Amino acid sequence: MYKGIAASRGIGIGSICRLIEHDLSFEAKLVEDPVAEKKRFQEAIDSFVKDTNAMADDIRKNIGPKEAEILLGHAVMMSDPAMSGEMFKMIEGGQCAESALTAVCDMFIGMFSNMEDEMMRQRASDIEDVKVSVLKKLLNIKDVNIRKVAPGTVLVCKDLTPSMTSQIVKENVAGIITEVGGNTSHSAILARALEIPAVLSVPGIVDAVKDKDTAVIDGTEGDVFINPDGTVLSKYLIKREEFLAQKAELEKFAGKPTVTADGKELELFCNIGTPRDAKKAMECDGEGIGLFRTEFLFMDNASYPTEEEQFEAYKEALETMQQRTVIIRTLDIGGDKEIPYLGLKKEENPFLGYRAVRYCLDNVEEYKIQLRAIIRASAFGKAKIMVPLVTTVDELRSVKKLVEEIKEDLRSEGIAFDEGIEVGCMMETASASLIADLLAKEADFFSIGTNDLTQYTMAVDRGNADVANLYSAFQPSVLRSIKNIIECANREGIPVGMCGEAAADPLMIPLLISFGLDEYSVNPVLVLTARSIISKWTKAEADELAAKIMAMDSKDEIISALKAAAK
Amino acid sequence: MVSKNITIKNEQGMHMRPASLLSQMAAGFESSVNIKANGNTCDCKSVMFLMAAGLKCGSEIELVCDGPDEEKALAEISAFIESGMGD
Repeated sequence: MYKGIAASRGIGIGSICRLIEHDLSFEAKLVEDPVAEKKRFQEAIDSFVKDTNAMADDIRKNIGPKEAEILLGHAVMMSDPAMSGEMFKMIEGGQCAESALTAVCDMFIGMFSNMEDEMMRQRASDIEDVKVSVLKKLLNIKDVNIRKVAPGTVLVCKDLTPSMTSQIVKENVAGIITEVGGNTSHSAILARALEIPAVLSVPGIVDAVKDKDTAVIDGTEGDVFINPDGTVLSKYLIKREEFLAQKAELEKFAGKPTVTADGKELELFCNIGTPRDAKKAMECDGEGIGLFRTEFLFMDNASYPTEEEQFEAYKEALETMQQRTVIIRTLDIGGDKEIPYLGLKKEENPFLGYRAVRYCLDNVEEYKIQLRAIIRASAFGKAKIMVPLVTTVDELRSVKKLVEEIKEDLRSEGIAFDEGIEVGCMMETASASLIADLLAKEADFFSIGTNDLTQYTMAVDRGNADVANLYSAFQPSVLRSIKNIIECANREGIPVGMCGEAAADPLMIPLLISFGLDEYSVNPVLVLTARSIISKWTKAEADELAAKIMAMDSKDEIISALKAAAK
Repeated sequence: MVSKNITIKNEQGMHMRPASLLSQMAAGFESSVNIKANGNTCDCKSVMFLMAAGLKCGSEIELVCDGPDEEKALAEISAFIESGMGD
């Protein structure tokens, strides 16, 4: 088995066709008749532009206008005065077309590959692609016609260039394996757009295989098998069927609202850890962000992140989400993490110690930097502030007081922000759950963090294997706690969400529907799965099941009853 | 010669698409069209130089037009850049 980067999901099984790189070496020579050489070069460019435009047309029809632009860009680059103009000048000076092309392209490749911006560095590979295509025209080299490969072909090559990708006929290509390229390369983006399973960056694969070898590729895991035995083959045939069936089932839910079987509309949000993840949440059809963890800003920094740095990160996430809710959790950190500049001491019990809101309220000047950055960012979308590890009403009041002070400052400085920005409470401690009725009067919303709620309710360290069997959100105590939190929120008329793993658990969802949870926040890849499960239950069915479950006294009994009832 | 200071507004900066649209637009004028930024000057009629200039969202540039239709070039091109260049 070979391992690579899982770049496009799905299972591909088929017969290998290798796309081998041609020898593009040439002899640089001085030309005697520059006029004839210029004519030869112009013909090569014309032919290249014609092919490229035709391929771009194909892509526009088969994939989409955005993807076609990559190729149209190639034609524009080649026609640019700085490119072909320079080349013609060199030919006039006596160089051959091949040398002129290579020299100018290489100069730009050098320029772009040194740029800071990842997007711009990608341009270097575009120019390389242009160079190779025009060079092939000049050297009269014809490629394998990718457009004409037989159905069930697995393409194996060093790197898949945009011009190669553009010729792919989706129905005929079962998979793609390359030796280079990452998750953000053109090959990966186009493979995903075409929904062809792809595994990239498999070292030495081109030389390791022959044409017509059988390949099995798992684009979800990044695994590749060449000429596998019958057991592996049948296992993956089944996996492929399952994948396709599941995909067809889930696709029905893309772009649809999240509603229960009896028509109650719920909110389905995503959990993210960086502003960039917000794009993923949008791609995966998330309706908002239920938990934006801000620790990344603090973990990878040598000093406390400035207000400006934080503001930019929050603003980016808010703008990406285009007026959808983004719940930003303030710093949730303690002595279990090494952040030298925070000066946190090693503690006997860091999870019961000086952390999260406790630390923040003890270091108000630092905390105000984060709160001010969030409140300023609220001018660019729908931001909400969430306070982690709340155990007393006073903690929440203190944070709200800080928020009011900051708003007053911003008003007098004439800086825009959302006057109605909400401050909510993360419900993840036994104490918060027991005083949920009191907290609900002070908080604008609740969000239940099931991982910590389970840990703190069960007094179980979730990292300790010896007690791991106790750690379950299906423990009767944890379920009672969740139910109480939701009911207190409902009674007070404030929204309540859940941002722990349990929110996407098919076994937990009917219970949450019955308890009256408003907002489910899940990993972006689980959005459609969660939406599909929510759509299967009516409130009445969920209530009936929940009544039975809440009368049971062991988690094992509860889990097996939920499994038996699962849809 | 006429010029104007402008800030690049589109999120992704001067990537392929805006550079391509901008260079095509600039090529339609008889005047020379240059962008001065970070101490360098680049020819706005070249998509390659535009991209190579590394202009990001927030970059401050000076747009300089020189020639018979410089006023029109400056007005139209600066409006285009300020509109986010189709992004």
